[in-house]
Amino acid sequence: MRVFNRYLVILAVVSAVINVTLAIFKQNDLSVYFMLNIIAYLVITLLHVYFTPKARSALNGVTVVLFSGFLVIIAVKVFEILSK
Amino acid sequence: MKNPYRTLGIGLAIGGGALVPIFYFFINSVPLTAVGLSSIILGFTSIALGNSRPYISPEAANIILKTGMENTSALLEEIGLNTKAIYVPSSNRDGKPQAIIPLIPEDAPLLTKGKINGRLIVRFGDSPDAMGIAVTTPGSINLNQLPAKLGNTPEDIEAAIMYVLVGLLDLAQSVRVHVSPSQVDVEIKGTRLSYEDIWYYRCLGSPVASIAATITCEALGKPVRIAKETVTGKTALISLEVVS
Repeated sequence: MRVFNRYLVILAVVSAVINVTLAIFKQNDLSVYFMLNIIAYLVITLLHVYFTPKARSALNGVTVVLFSGFLVIIAVKVFEILSK
Repeated sequence: MKNPYRTLGIGLAIGGGALVPIFYFFINSVPLTAVGLSSIILGFTSIALGNSRPYISPEAANIILKTGMENTSALLEEIGLNTKAIYVPSSNRDGKPQAIIPLIPEDAPLLTKGKINGRLIVRFGDSPDAMGIAVTTPGSINLNQLPAKLGNTPEDIEAAIMYVLVGLLDLAQSVRVHVSPSQVDVEIKGTRLSYEDIWYYRCLGSPVASIAATITCEALGKPVRIAKETVTGKTALISLEVVS
């Protein structure tokens, strides 16, 4: 199970780095934090191509939910810009 | 703790879910809210991984592997076979790759029989001495778990061995493959199964080498033999000889 442990540790470290960096730069928009975390998740998951088919399909479910959230934020932002 | 990934995931998801409204509405801190959101993402990821864990524990799998190896070793020892096995692709052996252990040692065994019948004791060449015992190896079983059709380029072979050893079985950390016309060199780093000087390993190679040999022979469509297996620390160097 080392490959799962490594994947989770990488995800946790990258998320922590993103959150701390944005906090240092005094970013106060929650959607920016959320989107960068999702992008990091998608990239790291994509790099672990050699997961078992069962693990991949389980992670695909999480990916679909997170990507939907990502699209909702994008839609809201686009709507805000267009309505100005 | 039956499934640590699920326990960790539930803890992170519930903890994150409880902390997000507190951080956002009461403490009014966006960075802390983001930490809560990250915790929820990690939690659901961990739950997903926990649900994909195999039902058999590593200890049970180890017992099954050892039992199979002991039985094969006993058979080989009883017959007195000490020759290196030839790994044959599925096209030569009723749709399943297997290893043939020649009854009489030869420097360059010739596999002149196109299709070898699916029995335990088989004839693999025209010479009267070309007889051997056909056994199933760990790689034979894993081959049909590959997601895509095997290609014959070094990159394809490397990706397939990596998929089985790193992703499916978690037996190694990385794999490198170098292919020349008559030889394939496989370097496996971070291997968890060390080489032991036992009868089974002398004939068929270690399980890691056996998997590499099976995938290589299937990819090339040619029989291969483990010419040399050297283990230095946690790195295994396997030289596979392509048999004509």
